[in-house]
Amino acid sequence: MNPVLLWFHQLGSPPVFDRFAARWAPWCYLVALPLIGIGLWQGLFVVPADYQQGDSFRIFYIHVPSAMMSMLVFALMAVYAVIALIWRIKLCEILAMACAPIGAAFTVITLATGSIWGKPMWGAWWDWDPRLTTELILLFLYLGVMGLYNAIDDRRAAARAAGLLAIVGVALLPVIKYSVVWWNSLHQGQTISLFGKSGMDSSMEWPFWLVFAGVHAWFFGSLLLRARADNLRREAGKDWVAKMADRP
Amino acid sequence: MTYVNYVIGAYAVFAVVMLWDFVVPRLQIRRELRAARLRKAREKKPSPPVELTR
Repeated sequence: MNPVLLWFHQLGSPPVFDRFAARWAPWCYLVALPLIGIGLWQGLFVVPADYQQGDSFRIFYIHVPSAMMSMLVFALMAVYAVIALIWRIKLCEILAMACAPIGAAFTVITLATGSIWGKPMWGAWWDWDPRLTTELILLFLYLGVMGLYNAIDDRRAAARAAGLLAIVGVALLPVIKYSVVWWNSLHQGQTISLFGKSGMDSSMEWPFWLVFAGVHAWFFGSLLLRARADNLRREAGKDWVAKMADRP
Repeated sequence: MTYVNYVIGAYAVFAVVMLWDFVVPRLQIRRELRAARLRKAREKKPSPPVELTR
């Protein structure tokens, strides 16, 4: 068998995944922390204030990466849920369900920081604007997935039910992304583009990409740890868990 | 206007939520491993003899 394929098959084994997650999660954080730290330090203290928004534009460096992550994590959760539903791979169920609290955390950051930015710029903490409302619905979807997963005793049935909700919820993602185009929105249009030209000067843009890369590494670290915790919970009572618990 | 207070508030929210995300999975893992250790200790311990009395 192809060694890469063999590795993927082996990773599906709970003890192998546990060792993998325990080994690689700290490395993800080790990559994430300097990237986020340097990016935010640059964004807070080095980059000049915006000529219109003043210092409040610095909220952008946490708001936009979090907003992008809130949608990317949901998409990834749905991908894992599809794989888990079709091929019944237990590890994918665990990974899909581990995505939900992390995505919810990024969505909370997005909504809170957006609200804090909105007060001085729009004169209101909240507006039932299409972008804000759809992002709030995304948070409710995350909470729904988490709630459904914890409401059913049978872990596998719970993961399938919650996974189905995640798959259905994916329909919201294009609505969030294009809400500023489809409707007359108070929220500004797209400023940052992955592949096209960004509407921001490059001297102010590069700290954003550092934070953006950093939150990705953070996400994978958190995903591995949360999946490891769920994996241990599901495998409670097995010999390998008892052996793992004995390790110093 | 500098809006420094708004910036501090937003970064504080970010720090708190990220800290929560950092701490919670570690606590969950510790709890699961502790439960496994306790389960193993319970299984090792011989059960006390039961005297049948009327």
